[in-house]
This record gives sequence, structure tokens and C-alpha cells, in this order.
Amino acid sequence: MNAKSLPLIPATLTLDQMREMQQRQIKKHHVAIVLLHWFNALVWFIELSTGLGLISAPAFRIAPEWYTTMMTNAFGAVNLLRLHIAIGMVWIIVFLVYGVFGYRDYLHHEVLIREIGLDRDDFEWLRIRTLLLLKRTKEALPPQGNYNAGQKLFALLVYAALPIIALTGLVMAFHVFPPSLVAWAMLLHLVAVGMVVSGLMVHAYMGAVFPEEKPAFFSMITGMVNELYAYRHHYKWWKEIKEEERLWEQELEGPKLDDTSARSEVSPLKPREEGSPADNGL
Amino acid sequence: MARYAMVIDTERCVGCQSCTVACKSEWDVPEGFARTRVRQTGVRGTYPKLMTTFHVSQCNNCDKPTCVPACPTGSTHQAEDGTVRVNRQLCIGCGSCVAACPYGARFVNPVIGRVDKCDFCSPRLQAGVQPACVETCPAKAKIFGNLEDRSSDVYRLVYREGAVRSETSGLRIGPNVYYAGKEEMLELEMSSFLPGEPRTVPAAWVWTALAKKFVYLAVGATFLGQAVAFFHQLSSGEKQFEE
Amino acid sequence: MSSKLTRRDFLRKTGTTAAITSAIATTAGAQMLQPGHRGDTRVELVPSNCEMCFWRCGILAEVKDGKVLKIQGNPNHPLTQGKLCARGNAGTALLNDPDRLKYPLIRTGARGEGKFRKASWDEALDLLATRLNDIKKKYGPEAVAYFPHGVSSGFFGTVMKAFGTPNSAEPAFAQCRGARDVGYQLTFGRPVNSPEPIDLEEAKVIVLIGSHIGENVFTSQVTAFAEGLKRGAKLIVVDPRFSTAASKADWWMPIRPGSDIALMLAWMNVLIAEEGYDAEYLEKYALGLKELSEYVKPFTPEWAEPLTDLSASMIRETALAMAAARPAVAIHPGRHVSWYGDDTQRARAMAILTALLGAYGRKGGMFLPTKLKSGRIPLPPMPESDKGRADGGGSKFPLASEESQGLTQELVEATLTGQPYPIKAWIVFGQNVLESIPQRQKTLKAIEQLEFMAVIDVLPVEQSDYADLVLPECTYLERYDPPAIVTTAKRPFVAVRQAACEPMYESKPGWWIAKQAAKHLGLEGYFPWQDPDDHLRRLIAPLGIRESELKSLGAVSFAGRPYIEDRTEDDGPLFPTQSGKIELVSSVLKDLKFDPLPVYVPQDSPPEGFARLIYGRAPMHSFARSENNKWLADLMPENQVWIGPAFAAKGGVREGQKVVLQNQDGIRSAPIYARVTEAIRNDCAYMVHGFGANAPKLREAHRKGASDTPLISRVKVDPIMGGTGMRVNFVRVLPAEEA
Repeated sequence: MNAKSLPLIPATLTLDQMREMQQRQIKKHHVAIVLLHWFNALVWFIELSTGLGLISAPAFRIAPEWYTTMMTNAFGAVNLLRLHIAIGMVWIIVFLVYGVFGYRDYLHHEVLIREIGLDRDDFEWLRIRTLLLLKRTKEALPPQGNYNAGQKLFALLVYAALPIIALTGLVMAFHVFPPSLVAWAMLLHLVAVGMVVSGLMVHAYMGAVFPEEKPAFFSMITGMVNELYAYRHHYKWWKEIKEEERLWEQELEGPKLDDTSARSEVSPLKPREEGSPADNGL
Repeated sequence: MARYAMVIDTERCVGCQSCTVACKSEWDVPEGFARTRVRQTGVRGTYPKLMTTFHVSQCNNCDKPTCVPACPTGSTHQAEDGTVRVNRQLCIGCGSCVAACPYGARFVNPVIGRVDKCDFCSPRLQAGVQPACVETCPAKAKIFGNLEDRSSDVYRLVYREGAVRSETSGLRIGPNVYYAGKEEMLELEMSSFLPGEPRTVPAAWVWTALAKKFVYLAVGATFLGQAVAFFHQLSSGEKQFEE
Repeated sequence: MSSKLTRRDFLRKTGTTAAITSAIATTAGAQMLQPGHRGDTRVELVPSNCEMCFWRCGILAEVKDGKVLKIQGNPNHPLTQGKLCARGNAGTALLNDPDRLKYPLIRTGARGEGKFRKASWDEALDLLATRLNDIKKKYGPEAVAYFPHGVSSGFFGTVMKAFGTPNSAEPAFAQCRGARDVGYQLTFGRPVNSPEPIDLEEAKVIVLIGSHIGENVFTSQVTAFAEGLKRGAKLIVVDPRFSTAASKADWWMPIRPGSDIALMLAWMNVLIAEEGYDAEYLEKYALGLKELSEYVKPFTPEWAEPLTDLSASMIRETALAMAAARPAVAIHPGRHVSWYGDDTQRARAMAILTALLGAYGRKGGMFLPTKLKSGRIPLPPMPESDKGRADGGGSKFPLASEESQGLTQELVEATLTGQPYPIKAWIVFGQNVLESIPQRQKTLKAIEQLEFMAVIDVLPVEQSDYADLVLPECTYLERYDPPAIVTTAKRPFVAVRQAACEPMYESKPGWWIAKQAAKHLGLEGYFPWQDPDDHLRRLIAPLGIRESELKSLGAVSFAGRPYIEDRTEDDGPLFPTQSGKIELVSSVLKDLKFDPLPVYVPQDSPPEGFARLIYGRAPMHSFARSENNKWLADLMPENQVWIGPAFAAKGGVREGQKVVLQNQDGIRSAPIYARVTEAIRNDCAYMVHGFGANAPKLREAHRKGASDTPLISRVKVDPIMGGTGMRVNFVRVLPAEEA
């Protein structure tokens, strides 16, 4: 298939094409990302359970009293706190390691803009998706990249919130800061966690319950999605993959001197290694 | 179990600060801070009819403390013997309780980064020993005991001899440090050192008044949103991906 | 014979009172001390006694792994009973004071520069011996003057005596309580001593003349004071300042400074005119009532009123209150009484009043000491000096006897003038000569003339920068000192001072320094005991107690016979005066051509624009000893000057303003904050003594507040015993910017 002939929005496929595409698997997430995702999920589960159990004073409490009482009776407040801080520290260290070793692939600003930066398609997508939900439009959704707009929003929230949660957690855990700073740190810690939890509602539903996104859920286990799903839901990313495949084929075949069109099709993008992930997706 | 209380006999007290130093020594209180302190009222009257006296204050281990509900981590708590204690392992040092105390009895200890205050020497009480300040006072001006023990000196001083509390019409939280002495001197002392207002630190106010509601709203709304979508999905039976 | 023998009769008949009471080391109520309550079995409780001041309250040091964690009172101590003041509680901060003297130091720079090099003890003691022997050869041993203070300085005092000098002077006599000891001794045959045998807790009326109990804190005295007041005692406070004690008084008498004798003569007048004296007691025990009665006839309250600024009615009222309460009237003899130069006579007046009320030897008044037969360590005979003392004690000042602690300012004078003979070396052990002796300008000049000066101390106070040799003594918590053998308590007792931990750095105990110095001087024979335990054993053996018992309890008390009715023959005469009776009229003074009865001589009034400088104590400090202590400095880092509102207004000074005091000789103090208050007469300016240290090595105390010592450039010397009256200087108060 000639890259030039790849349309900007997905074309309607034949049934045969669809069946064929459904059989093929493309790598969406690096195994490191898969591991990090579940590590994060586990940490959040423990931290939320312990954290909600710790804030027991009536004025500050988020979880209901029966919960905080149950947790403190079962484990003791001091042990809850010790676990919360210990796991928190492990979490920070793991992320720092990822941040150091994976800086080029995950944290570099070019990568961030490319993977989770919102473009015009994303804003359109958000508008149309909301209206679709309310059954107030019949427009088609614009094509999305490696991550759709909703996933990008959640990613942005998490990227903003996690450093806040980590830093404020450190301020509270290490008793070297002035009390006013500690008080604000607690406030920010709770608000940031609250924001992530709201985002988490959507993320968990979309990832685990919403049927259309089932392949996405499995991709967080296997790292792979089928090509039809990619074509339908992440067309711009599918397009990039296709172009790379074509370039790769061309490399193997050798350059065609008279085929100037082919050369001009050399992707201006940095050559992406086979299977290298864009970022941790939804 | 017990209801510990202290009575300060102003007639006896000479303002020598032995209690302050004994306490500092016992509990490693850093310079510039004190768990118990002695202040002098100004000199009242005109020469030569003058009056002055001393006011010893510390945490009152109140019946209805304003500091306990102010503590977000539950580290500040009221024990069964009435003493209000700070669990250092839970305290994060946010200072909410410091602002909430109308007697200014608490402080954030800069050495340990946590809140510190008098707790009637709880560890000593558990070992059957008097609080350090009571033990050392040369004038024997600090009387300590269990108000539930009818034969105790504190019972007599409080319930039979009318020892007074540092309270105002607007603040009656049951402080358990009482004051005894000559009426005129007590009046001078109490009026010179009135309790203040319990306050909330700005961060805590923002949380309880605004942010908590906002978080509940956000989480609730997203949860509801997803619940609606879920039911919508069930009812309308969204097209499965493979058809 | 009645079947009912009183205990006293029985004991007298058996004639073995002393032996029995010595043998019965009653430790009633004393308990074996348990390890601390910290739940840590490695915590030891070591009993000792305190030396943050000189009351020697019983303490328990909590020690773990050789470190002192905390100090508390010793409940076994019969006098202080577990109570301990702010300074006692702050002993650990002294132990851990980073500015402590740590190593022997030999001067390298000029006198006063403070430049030293570290030396070993051997080198240091060699230097000491060499220089002292040099001076002995050139001028004779009398050219060495000793300035001690504190219990541990006694050991080195033996060295000095053995060396051959009779010159030793402590400020305790001439700058502090000497006058009252002499005054009471002349009257009753006994000095007052320390702790003062004043029965505050049993008194019905307590009279404080200048005494500011509550700011001047001696633990057991505060306890007794508070107890007495609680039991309903009436309190009379005579003080130009509204002190803490005055705030508890039934009568605060803001007396014009210097007129105390007039007040007391008027009191005597009322007591005699109204027959408010204890006639029976005086008949039995006193001489001179008739002469006294005649003498005081003209000294009515009306006569005293314009002299004292106290109303005649108040003078009369207070006298009658005392009379009504007799004999349970406790007139506190005071402690620091060196005020105006007539201090012996003022003490005599107080003693006479005490006698008139029948209070001496009676409950609620002053009680009698009970002797304890402690041991003596026999020493080789001390060398005799034919030159005699240089400070005029016993000669120029006939009543500054051998037993007294010398006249410091006279030694300074002798050093300056070379009269009666040259003094070329000073050994200062625990005394702060530049702060304690008035007219420090003279002291500095004297130091400059010395050929050798050695300072032995715990902290590097100012004078150490002038020394040729500085030796570090360890704190009281790290050393053995001779036990306190206290007879002026209702139950006499012996209390131990033993080390709670090892000396830090290379500091050493006083006994070790003395013994080693003796070795280097060839005087080992004067230290026949091996070690502290040996020394202690020899002292307490006759008392019938073992040193292990004493060391584990901290103190052992004995039966006391504080009141006249308890006394036995073995206690000796009730009144060991020349006549064997209370001498209302002093025969000794008569013989020496002094006034046999106190005469009121008015003091100079402050010149226009000036106020009289008076000074005192704060409860969280011990004169000039504690200002470097972190915990105590935290409570009171500097002093203030108290002045009356009218006086402040005249000088243009506001409350809280930084000011400078300038005295009548133009000498200025360091800047100090002004406290403008109604609580002081407008002709007085009061400050707490001990601040304003000029000692850069005392980083906490250096230049905090102001010192009163430089302002005391004039003194009035008491001709009877040589004490220096120091409240005879006047100051102006200037705003600090203008000064």
C-alpha cells in the first residue's frame, strides 16, 4: 500500500479486510510499561486503603467512620502509617528509576507533546464523544493517536498529581519542615489524591468495563492489540505503524533510484524502533 | 479509671521557675519553648498599695479539649485517665492543634518536627511517680492527684475549697489545672491571663470548608457518570466489537 | 521519784547522750533508692548534693551508661526532702556546657589577652610549684594569697596553709554574711552559719529585712517560707523594692535605704514601752535589759517616721504584731548583709529584737544547732608565720577572726600597696574576683602587679584570661567533695557529694588537684588519706555511719535538739558568750571601743538626679555563676534596671528603653534595659547581680545585660569586722544612644 494513499481519516473497510486485520496483533505497550501499570495499581490500592484509614478525625475524614475504625482496630494506626510511608517510598523510588532510565522515552518534552499533548482532533473528539453519550449528535469521531483524548486527559492529570502527592507525602513523613508547610502539604496531598481518584473512576470503567475498550484492557496484560482495534480507535497511530512497516520493507528491498515518490515518503519522524511504546496509556 | 488534675496554689508559688526547668530536663524541651511556664502579672495598684502574683500554666488536659477534633491524624487523643496525649508516631507536625488550643499550651518542637506539650508526665504516672514539676517545686505549690479519689488533696481543693479554672463565659472546655489562693490574688491572676480563642489553621479551614466538598463532588460525579454509562451500556446493549 | 521520766531526764542521767545519739543514725523515713522510673534497668540513681549555689540541696542524678540524664531532688535529704530549684535542675546543662575549661592552660599572650596553650597536668603542676617556690624564696610564703570559694577549694586551702601563707579570703565574709555572723555571735555567742537556723514554718510572724526569699532561692528555705505562710503566719517585709516576698506580705514597708537601724530601734522602743517582750525569757537568759530600755526611750515611732519614710502607725502596728506572736517570731538574719558599713550594728539590732521577743532557741523563732562529732584528719603541724595576716583580720579588724573567711578587699589592697608586706602571687580557686570583690578597677590593677597568678575553675570567667596558669576543675557532678556536715538544721545531718559520672575532658576534682600540687611542692604529708573513700570514712567514722550507707542514701540525719527545752548538758552552754547569757549590750564591743548598742547613723541621700544602686538575685540564676547555662539563660538571658516612674521621667527614660548607668565617679555600665515600675522607690535603682560578664569564652553569657560590679567603685568598710558595705553608690540613668 502506498503511504501517500493512506487517507487522513479511516476509510470504511471490507469485511475481509476487517477479518484479516482482526487476526493481526500490534505491539502497543512495552513490557516495562505493563509492569509499571500494575505496580502502580497495586500501590494505589494499598495507599488508598491505608490512607483513608489514617485520616480518622471527623473534620478531616473522607472514608466513613466504620471504615477508619475497622482499619485502626485491625492494624493499629501506627502500622497503617508505617506501611503507607514505606510503600510510598518504594513507589517514589521505582518511579525515579523509571524516570532516570526512561527519560528519553517517557519524560522528554517532545515525547510528552507527541504522545499526550492535545491537538485539534482531541478537542473535537471530546466534544463529539460527550454529545454521543447524550445521544445528541450523529457525527463521526475524529481520528486519534496512540492515546485518545480521554486517555490523554487522564495522563495529564496523573503527571501533574503524582509529583504533588509524592512531594507532599515526603513533607509529611519527614519532620523537618515548618508546620504551616506541613498543613498545606496535607491539603494538597488530599486534593491531588481526590482528583486522581475521580479520574480513576473513568479510567477503571473505560479500561475494564466498557466493552468497546476490551482490547485496551488486554493490551495492559499482553502488551498487544489487534490491528482492527488500532485502525478503528487509534487511526493516526495505526497510520504511523503502517508507514514504518513500509519504510522497513523498502529498506530490506533496497532503495529504488527512480522512485522519487518513495524517497519523499520517508517519514520526517524519528525512526521508531519496532515495538517501542509511546507512553503509558490508559 | 482516673481523672488527673493539678491545683496550683498561688499563695505558695514564688515564681522561681524550678518547674519549668525540671520539665525541660525531663522531656528534652528545646530552648525557647516550654511545656509549663511561669509568668508574672504586672504590678497593679499605686505605690505603696501594690499587687502582683505569678501564673503557672501548662496543658490543662481539658475535659472537652478543642485540640483533639482539630488533629487530622488522630495523633492527639484523650486517654482514659483524662490526660490528652500526642502519639508522636502519628503526628505530622501540621500545627492544627497548636492553633486550636485557647491556652497556648502546645508548640511544634523544632527538634523532632512534631507537636509537644505537657501531658501530666504520663509515662511517669504510669510508673507510679509524680509529675516532675510537682516533685521539684520548692514551695510545694503544685498539688497533683486524681479527682475521682475523694480522699485526695486535689478533690478537697477543687470540690470543697473552691479552686478556680481558667474559663470565660465563651469558653468552658473543662481545663484540669485549677488555681487556689487568696481571692484578690486569684482575681488578678485569672484576669491577667485569660484564655484566647481556639483557631483553625488556614490549610485546615480550606480543607474542611471547601476542598473536601469539592473532592467528594468530583469523585461522586465521576462515579455517578460511570454508573449511568454502565447502565446505559447494559440497557442499550452496545454493539460488541466483533460482529 | 515520779514514775514518769521525761526522755530528757533519762538521757541526762545516763550521761551518754552524745554517744547514743551519735550511734543512733536515725534514718527515719529514708528509703533505699530505686532505679529510675524510666523502665530501663540500666538507669542508676546516684545521690549527691548540688553546687549550682552553696546551699547543697540533696540531689539524685539519673545515670545511664556513665551519662547523667537528669537531676532531681533527693527525697532522703532531711533538709530539702526531694525539692530542687531551677538551677539545681539545670546542673546537666553545666555538665555539658561546651565552654567549660577542659585542659590545663599556660598563658602565651599578654595578661588579659586570653591567649593560652594546652599543657599536660604534669607540666602545669610543675610550673605551679616552680613559680610558687620562686616567690617563696624571694619574698617568703606569705607573698602568696589564696582566693577560694566552694567546698572543693578546702583541699587546696590545706596546701596553701602547709605552704606557709596565712593569707586566704573568701567573699562570703566581707562581701556577704560576715557582719551578721559577727553581730549574732556578739549577742548570742554563736554565728548564724548556713543554712540559717530560722524556724519559718512554725513562725506566727515572719520578718524579712531586705531578704528577698522567692527571688533569692534556697530550696528548703522557700519550702519553709511557703509552709509558714500557708499556716497563717503574718509577713512583714522591709524592702525599698516590692519584691516577690513583699507581694505576699501583710505589711510591705518601703523603707528609705540605710535607715533599718532606726526602724529597729523604734520597734525596740514599742516592745519595751508596751511590755511586748518576753520578760520571763529575758530574766532567765539575758543581760542588759535595763540599759537597753533606757537607751531606746527616745526612739519612738514618731522619731523614726521621717528617718525611714514609714508611718509611725505602721511601725507601731508591726511591733505590736510581733509582740502578740512572741516567741514565734522569725526575724530572718539575712544572708548578704554588706550594705552600708554599719552592718554589724544592724545585725546586732536584729539579734536584740530576736532576744526581746524570746525567739532565740524557741519554736517559730530561731532554733539552736545540734553538734555532730565528725572526724578530724590529723595533719602535721602547719608552719607558723611571724608576719601575720596581710588582710588585717584579728588586728585592724579585731572581729575578723581566725575562723572567719578572710577579707578579700584587704588582700587586694595589700597587693596594690605592698603593705604590710608584698603579695606577689594569687591562687584563685572557684572565686570570681572581678565580679565578687567591689572596686574591680583596683582588683585589675592588683592583678597587673602580680608575678604569678593561677586560676582553678570550672568555667572560663573573665579573670582566667589574666592568669598565667589555668587549671580545669570538673563540676560537682563529677567529683567527691568533703561531705556536708550540717548542724543548723532541726535534724542535723551528713550529706555526701560523690561523682555521678567520670570527669569530662581532662578536668579533675579539687581533691586530686590539691593532692597533686602537694606532691609537686613536697607537701604530701598533709594529705595522709589515700582516696576520697578513705577521706570520707575518716570524717564520718565517729558518727557511727558507714560510708556505703551514706553513699547509697545520700544523707543520714540524727536527732536534733533545736529548742531550749530539748537541750542537754552535752550541748554545751545555751549562750556561749563571755557572760554565758544573751548580751543585749555587747561587752565585747564595749571593750573594743565600739558602740555597745546599735546607733543609727543616717546614710547620704542620693545627689540630685541620682538614685541609690541596689542589687539582688533572680530565682533562676546564682549570682555570676549561672549566666552561661543554656537552660537558665533561656529563662533569663539578661538583667534589667528597675527604676521608679518619677525617677525615669526625670531622666527622660521610658519603659523597655536601653539605658546606661553612670555612677557618682563617672563610671558607666554596659547597656541594660530599663524596667520602669511602681514596684521600687524613686530614690533607688535595682538590678540583679551577675550579668554583663566580660568573658568572650563564655559565649552564652558574654556581654548579656550589665554588671553592677564596676559601678560599685565606693565601699563603706565596717570597722568592726572589715566587711564592705556596697549599697553606697549612686547612679544616673542615661538613654543608651546618648551615652
